[in-house]
Amino acid sequence: MLLHPLGALAQVPYPRIAAAETTPDDWLTYSGNYQAQRFSPLTQINRQNVAQLKPFWVYQVRRTGIVETSPIVADGVMYITEPPSTVTALDVRTGRPLWTWTPAIPADVIVIGSPPVNRGVAVLDDNVFVGTIHGHLIALDAKSGAVRWDVAVDDNKFGYYVTTAPLALDGKIVVGVSGAEAGIRGFLDAYDPKTGKRLWRSFTIPGPGEPGFGTWGGDSWKTGGGSSWLTGSYDPALNLIYWGTGNPGPDWNGDVRPGDNLYTCSLIAIDATTGRLKWHFQFTPHDTHDWDANEIPILFDAPINGRPRKLVAMANRNAFYYVLDRETGEFLVGTPYAKQTWADGLDAKGRPRVRPGLDPSVEGTLVFPNIQGASNWPSPSYSPQTKLFYQPAREMGTYFYKGESKYKPGDPFVAGGGRAVNGDDAWGAVRALEATTGKLKWEFKLLTPPWTGLLSTGGGLVFGGTEEGNFFALDADTGKPLWDLQLGAAVKANPMSFAVDGKQYVAIAAGYALYVFGLP
Amino acid sequence: MLFTRCAPLALVFLLVPAVAARSAPVGQAAARVGEGKQLFQGMCGRCHGIDGTGEEGPNLARPTLTRAVDDDSLRAIIRDGIPDRGMPRVRRMTDTELDQLVAYVRVLGRSPAATSTGNAQRGGEIYRRLGCASCHIIQGQGSSFGPDLTDIGASRGPTYLRQSFLGPAEMLPRGSSPVPGRGFTEYLPVHAITSDGKDVTGVRINEDPFTIQLRDTSNKFHSFRKADLKQLDKEFGKSLMPSFRGRLTDVENEDLVAFLANLRGAK
Repeated sequence: MLLHPLGALAQVPYPRIAAAETTPDDWLTYSGNYQAQRFSPLTQINRQNVAQLKPFWVYQVRRTGIVETSPIVADGVMYITEPPSTVTALDVRTGRPLWTWTPAIPADVIVIGSPPVNRGVAVLDDNVFVGTIHGHLIALDAKSGAVRWDVAVDDNKFGYYVTTAPLALDGKIVVGVSGAEAGIRGFLDAYDPKTGKRLWRSFTIPGPGEPGFGTWGGDSWKTGGGSSWLTGSYDPALNLIYWGTGNPGPDWNGDVRPGDNLYTCSLIAIDATTGRLKWHFQFTPHDTHDWDANEIPILFDAPINGRPRKLVAMANRNAFYYVLDRETGEFLVGTPYAKQTWADGLDAKGRPRVRPGLDPSVEGTLVFPNIQGASNWPSPSYSPQTKLFYQPAREMGTYFYKGESKYKPGDPFVAGGGRAVNGDDAWGAVRALEATTGKLKWEFKLLTPPWTGLLSTGGGLVFGGTEEGNFFALDADTGKPLWDLQLGAAVKANPMSFAVDGKQYVAIAAGYALYVFGLP
Repeated sequence: MLFTRCAPLALVFLLVPAVAARSAPVGQAAARVGEGKQLFQGMCGRCHGIDGTGEEGPNLARPTLTRAVDDDSLRAIIRDGIPDRGMPRVRRMTDTELDQLVAYVRVLGRSPAATSTGNAQRGGEIYRRLGCASCHIIQGQGSSFGPDLTDIGASRGPTYLRQSFLGPAEMLPRGSSPVPGRGFTEYLPVHAITSDGKDVTGVRINEDPFTIQLRDTSNKFHSFRKADLKQLDKEFGKSLMPSFRGRLTDVENEDLVAFLANLRGAK
């Protein structure tokens, strides 16, 4: 047997990722393509036969925990993460592990603001890239799991940690950080995939002398939060990265950080080559309800008022659906997609007309949406076939409380909290919105605000899940349920689809397991 | 198929007054609890809710925490987290801080010993006379249509207990049991009519968007796919337990409260 010279034939080179829609058997990025549409063009599983869907194999994770992984599939191998920061490669034909790798996490690791989870890996060339809860970015050999390089993104002692799947671009690995609840100063980083050398850092909070610095009172910018904890999207033609930013710190007491607090709760468009900010759009100025804007920004092109536009859409945690021009950041559409009580709509520039008196208070202030928001990390989906934006919507309020927090490195910096309106008084839905207007086309009601993302497919289906453990398929045109199965534990993950040996499969994590379904 | 949702929103925070009404412990213990509350709101409130009644993390305002049956195990959990269940070790805490947090978390789930003026022994006789055991179990004795009352006095204060038999519809427990959990109303009356005309009235045991499980008034279990039902009414604001308002004297009411308040677990 002749071995190829090292690097001569990279397995997943950049052009292959950029043309993801032409190789639908694979699923090469967190959201399936750079537009972050979580749409599979595969048609084999469709409206006519989805009722016959059966489990193909099940993989149980090695160590229990919340499994929020979104698998990647390339050439018959599936790469998943297991809590807290383990990477495992599986044979997609059998579910048998090929290798697994677990980082050495220090016992005194600081994880403030979320459970110690991981949402997935990136692949580029012959490597797999993962962020860890101790704040490292690590490149592993895709064939063996051997470590190629390991760099600290930032110091976990200050609360920086990584749960998000990195995004692989041409010669760059882009990664965001968590930690706003510890009072970090957020940023987005790009690293050289071959060496781990940092190529640029783009702070989400401007420093002295930079535009936007005046939106922070006193020294509050230093602990201003604005984490970047969910994977964004990318337009290769414009060479722009679209990434959402999180809440300002401390979360629920805005008195200590007067001003709009740019660029928290914003969508930022970053030049992929330089890391420079091209434009920004702030959804929730001076947020006091923890409504991070880290949700997935989906890219699509469509005419608006008769003129073809390059668009980016986000169903924001603050309960409004936004459509922006992705070349300029111009606000085009903004409309509520879930119950909200905090704003009398948006003005012509998309700025909310905030109702007075709804800040967190010592005695508690009831506001919709709740702390976790009308949307959160579970992915939306956009189908180029139906031109609908599918959103897992969370209908829930919270009594918001205001407290005090003194910043101390590595301590929670939140200044308040909430008490949820729970149980039968909260609910959810899968909502299909007309992508260019946000107008509701249909909804499928759920008993509980969901923590499951959505997948739409070329077979005319939308896959989703529930907190009660159901995994289901809906008709993408009407929302009619066509198939469901009880998986035995809450589904807190994103579905994806792939094909191998000419057969299509759908994968979803639930409980402590990853399930793969196919037709008999 | 028709889904009716008769939901009086007044139910939303029904359990809160019972929590608020608890009298504070005294002196040093009270100070420890107070410090623990401050710590809790900063360190724990984001997941467990600012008052411990649960957000992303579980409700801690319960008499028994299954993973922390004693203070040592509670202390270990706060110190180390439960990484495999998603609870982080927030940060290294001092022994004093751990003491304060343990003290506060324990207060969340325990009602103080009964302060009812009634006579528990006479209350027990009323309990027997009214036939409560036809729906409730105490120490393994009775029927299981309604909640097991063996340790009801440990988890509920006198105000709640009184209201639970005077106006049970307003006092259906919420989220106190792992099933259906997540703050759902327990013992919710439901009325289902199947597509072949079968009419079933009972209490909801569990539910998801596609199915519902219930026990009918003869305590028989039923499972339905919602798509197979012609009608499903979830009767919020109602209870299948009769109200005893006006059927007992004030003295008898207090005697029954005293009896229930003394039910503090298996002996």
